[in-house]
Amino acid sequence: MHMTESAPVRIASVNPQTLFETRQGDRPTGETLFSVSDLKVSYTGVPALEGVSLDIYRNNVTAFIGPSGCGKSTFIRCFNRMNDLIPTAQVEGHISYHGVDLYGPEVDPVEVRKRIGMVFQKPNPFPKSIYDNIAFGPRILRMQGSLDERVEQGLRRAALWDEVKDRLKESALSLSGGQQQRLCIARCLAVEPDVILMDEPASALDPISTTAIEDLMHELKRNYTIVIVTHNMQQAARVADMTAFFSVKVSDDGKRRTGILVEYDETPTIFTKPADKRTEDYVTGRFG
Amino acid sequence: MRLTLQEDLDQLEASLQEEGELVLRSLRGSLNALVDADTELADEVIAFDDEVDARYYAIEEGIQSLLARQTPVAADLRLVLAMLHDNLHLERMADYCVTIAKLTKLVEGIAQDATLLEGFEEMGRRLEEMIHVALDSFAARNLEQAESLVHLDDLVDRANRRVVGHVLALGGDPERREWGLRMIIVSRCLERIGDHAVDIGEQTAYLVTGEFREFTDASHPGGPPGTAPREL
Repeated sequence: MHMTESAPVRIASVNPQTLFETRQGDRPTGETLFSVSDLKVSYTGVPALEGVSLDIYRNNVTAFIGPSGCGKSTFIRCFNRMNDLIPTAQVEGHISYHGVDLYGPEVDPVEVRKRIGMVFQKPNPFPKSIYDNIAFGPRILRMQGSLDERVEQGLRRAALWDEVKDRLKESALSLSGGQQQRLCIARCLAVEPDVILMDEPASALDPISTTAIEDLMHELKRNYTIVIVTHNMQQAARVADMTAFFSVKVSDDGKRRTGILVEYDETPTIFTKPADKRTEDYVTGRFG
Repeated sequence: MRLTLQEDLDQLEASLQEEGELVLRSLRGSLNALVDADTELADEVIAFDDEVDARYYAIEEGIQSLLARQTPVAADLRLVLAMLHDNLHLERMADYCVTIAKLTKLVEGIAQDATLLEGFEEMGRRLEEMIHVALDSFAARNLEQAESLVHLDDLVDRANRRVVGHVLALGGDPERREWGLRMIIVSRCLERIGDHAVDIGEQTAYLVTGEFREFTDASHPGGPPGTAPREL
């Protein structure tokens, strides 16, 4: 049979890889931002979390999931030294950030918290105007440039600008719960952080506000690295590139419960073929 | 423990097994109709396909509802996806049985060739065994048993390849030739039923391992690209 020369070329030019290129951004970039090794956190000498080692990748959303008491909130607080504020807390092991020991003696915890911001479960705006909430951080830190521009940029990045641009002088407490949470994210962004830590950021919000926060995470990861603690496994499945599953180890006498890291992998792997039976049992709802 | 999810999964899996039993009845019926030239039975096989289709749609709807309401993950998700594929494979098998029944009606009154029919009977017995193995290995999550389907399918494929030679040997009588040509399609239908049984085995392997993998690669039947191809 005579074959025209173009036929095999046409088949060869069809590259199935191109179909999946849009998914490339979902994968870890490979650039390590935080490197945690053998971390242990104790309160009044009792370990709450131990033996945790993992890397957090830049421009990824990384989710920590696990049952209550597994230490995931304790863990996320280690990344901006929030546990320093609890007198009984003791952190052992090592966390490096951009290759620098986060707990090194020369490191200023205030500078750490500027570069690594945090958003909490319950929106906690200051009882001030919308404008002043955002301007607060840059003022305190005496940041250069126009304050108005900073406020606008923060609100725009948090997808709140269009909703509040005509009422900047109104009290932040007049906003809805979902808006207040995005205001807190805007407040965090105004001081130009590198990382945003979110501890259950949507658990107090209705489904529409939750979607807004999840969409925002997707947008923000282009410029920031996001770490989130969530009780909502489907939320982790939706937003996270990497997911870490934590669980609780109970001592032989049943008296001591310590958080441990069970499995850490790309989110699709955690939700389709987890390697550890304990992860499988948790994500399929067969836990406990 | 998610009781509703587990109950829904169990029910879907039981329905799938029942669909498999219906396919076995359809296959046996279509072969008996062919060998005995029983057009009445052929009509029954054609009508019986509605039962397979009803089961097929019920499973599809059940899976749709389960995905919407339960959002299964991990092994549960793999089970649901595997059942989605298996459901279609079983429905396709039953369709091939209908085609055989229709061909049986088309050759009504034409003298048959006993050797070829014996060959189809033998293929049919192999296929019944394959469908049992496919369903049982799925139920038992037995990877080794699922992989054995490839060897069973080799026998069906070999029998299929011999049919053309037999048909050519039937001679030049136009009626015999017509019968022979239609029997080539029957043979092809039986061969495809075997392929679908192997596909069900592949779904079992996916369910157990989480890896997508073809047991045999139709594009490279002899092994990796570049090696000598196996006889087709």
